[in-house]
Amino acid sequence: MTSDRPAGAGDRRRLALITVVTVALVTLPLVGSSYLVSVATLALYLAYVGQAWNVMMGFAGQLSLGHSLYVGLGAYVAAGIFVHFGVGPWAGLWLAVAICSAVGAFIGLLAFRLRISGVQLSLLTVAFAELARIGFDHLDWFGGPGGLFLRVGDRNHIDLLGFRGPPAMYYYAMLALAAGALGVCALLLRRRPGYYWRAIREDEVAAQALGIDTFRWKMLAVVLSSAMTAIAGVFFAFYNNSLFPEQIFGFGRSIEIILGPVIGGLGTLFGPIVGAVALVLLGDGTTEILAKAGVDLPGARQVVHGLVLLLVTIYLPNGLWPPLARALGFQPRRL
Amino acid sequence: MAAASTLAMYAFPRRLGAETAKLKVGVLLPRSGLQALIGQSCQRGADVAPELLRQRLGVDIELMNADTESNVDTARSRAERLIEQGAQVLVGAFDSGHTAAIAQVAEQRGVPHIVNIAAAPQITEQGYKFVFRNFPPAPEIGRNGLVLLGDIFREAKVAPKTAVFMHVNDTFGQAMAKGVAALLPKLSLPFKVVDTIPYDPAAKDLTVEVSRAKATNAELLLLVCRLNDAIVLRREMVKQRWSPMGVVSPGSPGLYEEQFSKGLGKYGDNCISNTVWFNPKNQITHDFAAAFKKRFPKDEFAFHGINASYTFDAVLIAADAFKRARSTDPKALAEAIRQTNIPATDRVSFGGPIKFNAKGQVDGNRSVVIQNLRGKPTVVLPAELAEGKLVFPMPKVS
Repeated sequence: MTSDRPAGAGDRRRLALITVVTVALVTLPLVGSSYLVSVATLALYLAYVGQAWNVMMGFAGQLSLGHSLYVGLGAYVAAGIFVHFGVGPWAGLWLAVAICSAVGAFIGLLAFRLRISGVQLSLLTVAFAELARIGFDHLDWFGGPGGLFLRVGDRNHIDLLGFRGPPAMYYYAMLALAAGALGVCALLLRRRPGYYWRAIREDEVAAQALGIDTFRWKMLAVVLSSAMTAIAGVFFAFYNNSLFPEQIFGFGRSIEIILGPVIGGLGTLFGPIVGAVALVLLGDGTTEILAKAGVDLPGARQVVHGLVLLLVTIYLPNGLWPPLARALGFQPRRL
Repeated sequence: MAAASTLAMYAFPRRLGAETAKLKVGVLLPRSGLQALIGQSCQRGADVAPELLRQRLGVDIELMNADTESNVDTARSRAERLIEQGAQVLVGAFDSGHTAAIAQVAEQRGVPHIVNIAAAPQITEQGYKFVFRNFPPAPEIGRNGLVLLGDIFREAKVAPKTAVFMHVNDTFGQAMAKGVAALLPKLSLPFKVVDTIPYDPAAKDLTVEVSRAKATNAELLLLVCRLNDAIVLRREMVKQRWSPMGVVSPGSPGLYEEQFSKGLGKYGDNCISNTVWFNPKNQITHDFAAAFKKRFPKDEFAFHGINASYTFDAVLIAADAFKRARSTDPKALAEAIRQTNIPATDRVSFGGPIKFNAKGQVDGNRSVVIQNLRGKPTVVLPAELAEGKLVFPMPKVS
C-alpha cells in the first residue's frame, strides 16, 4: 500500500503531472469521441469497483470472489423500484446501499463469527453470489431470466434526477465516483481504520493481542466495500438499462472486479486505477492494432489479459503501480 | 404495389448507381468467450452475405466485424466504435443482454440495428425507433415448439399418453420450463406430464436423473437441454436401455448440433427438435448453402442452420433497405427497413414475409420439426418443407 503522497524536491513535477491528468480526465468528453468516452467510462467503472474490492481484500486482507453479488443486488434494487414504482435512482441508491450493506454484514457476521477466512471465505462469497444469481432467475418481479429492462432516455437531454442523458454525463458520474472512492480510501488509510486493517491483514492474532477488535474492523471493511460496490451496481443498471442474472451475478463479473487491483497493485491506493486503465487500454488497444493490421483475431483481448496477468504475477508480484510510482517520483510504500 | 415493387426488385436485380456508396454493415457477435461457438457459426452467415447479395440484389456491402467477447460491456463499446468507424447499420448480437446494450447505443446514435438472434421479448418493447428484429421472442419459440408436438402425433398416427419433462436448471432451462408449464395445459395435447426433472447442465453423470425418468414409464421424453448435457443424457438412456417413443425438444439447442450427432453416432439419430430453422425449399437457401459450402468446405451447412440463416437474413434486410433507400444515411435506411416486405420465398430462415410491425418486430417466424436422420438434422414437418420422413416412434435402442 502506498501513501501516494508527493514529497520533497519533485513536488512541482508531481503536481504538474497530477494537474495534467486531472485536466485530461475532465476535458476528455469535450475532445474525445463517443467510443473513447465509452471506453473511459468502462475504465473508471472498473477502477471504482476495484477500489471497493480493494478495501476488503487489499486493506483488510479478507478475500472475496463474489463481489458481483453487490453489483447485482445494487443494480436490481434500484432498477426494480424504478421500473415498478417510478422511484428515481437517487432514492434507489440509498436503498441499494442499505440492502447491500446488510447483506455484506450478514456474510461478514457468518464468516467472522464462525472464524471462516482465506479460501473458505472466498468460497462463501462465491456461494452467496451464485445463490443470488439462481434466486433472481426465479424472481418474476425482477424479470427473472428474461431480464429487467429500463426505458432508455434521450441521449441529447440531461435529466439528472432520472440519471438519464448523454454518455458524457455517465462518464462524469463515474469520474466523480472513482475520485470520491480514491479520496475516501486515502482518508481511511491515514486514519485508525487503515492502521487497524493493515495490522489485521498482516497478522490477525498479533492485532488481537494488541487490543484491536478485529471482528469490528473486519466488519467495517466488508460493509464499506459492499456499500461502495452497490453504488457501482446502481450506475450499471442506469447505464446499461438491462439486467440479466446470468450476466450481473456471474463469476466472470467478480473476476473482472478483482483484475484491476491485482494487476495494478493489491492494497495500494492507485493500484486499482492503474490496473483498470492498463487492462482497458491494452484490451482495446490490441483490438484496434489488430484491426488496423487487417487481422481478425477473436479473443485477442482475453489473451492479452491473460498474458498481462501472467507477466505481472511473475515479474511484478506487487503490481504495476509500485514501480510506476517510483518512476514518476512518488514514494509507494506498503501500508 | 409495395409487394410488386419488392418482387420486381428480387426478380430483376440491378446494380445501384455510382452515386450510392457501399453499405457498411457492422456485425457484432460473440466470437470469443463463452458463446464463441455460436457466435462464429453466426459469423459464417454474415461472411457469405456480401457476395451472394451482390449477385442477387446488385448492392455492395462491406462487413465491419466486431467481437463482443461474450461480454455486455464490450458489446456496448464495440458498437460505439463501429458507428464511429462509419458503420451505417448494425447487425447482431445473438445474446439478449449484448443485443440490449447494442440496441441502446444504436437508438441513441440513430443508427439502425437489425437483430439477428436474441429472444428476450423486451428488446422490441422499449419503444425503439431504430431497432428491428427478425427472430421470434422466446415465448413464441416455446409455443411454436409445443404446438408442433401435435403435428408429430398426427403425422405418425400415434400419440404418447404420458411424458416426462427433463430440463436444464440454468437460466434458459428455467425460463423454458416455466413456459412449458404455462402453455401445456392450454394446448390440449394427448399426454400427461408424469414427472418434471431438472438437472445441472454441467453434470458429467446423469445416471440418477435418467433412472428416475425411466422409472416413470413415460412414453415420451420432453427435453429442454444444451449440448453437452444432451450428449451425456442420451448416452445414459442407451446405457439404461430406455427407449421412449420419442425424445423431443420443444425449442432448445443441443439435439440438432454437430457435436451431438458426431459424438453419438447412430444413437443421436431420430431425436427431434421443434425449432426455428431455414427453409430448405427456397431457392435463396440453396444459393446460400452452395455459397456457404464454397466458403467453408469443411462445415456442414445444416449444423449452422439457425445461426447462419438468421444472421444472413439480417444482412439481407440491410441490403434490401439500402437498395430501396438508395442512400447510406442511417435515418433513410431505418425508414426503408420499416417499409421492408421481403417475400417468404426470398428469405433463408423459415417464416412468412419479412415485414416489421410498429415495434420493429417481424411476426410470423415459424418453427419446424427437425429430426436427426443418418447423422444430419433434417426437416420432417411441416409436410411442405419436409426433406425426410418422420420416424416416430423411434426404434428401440439395441
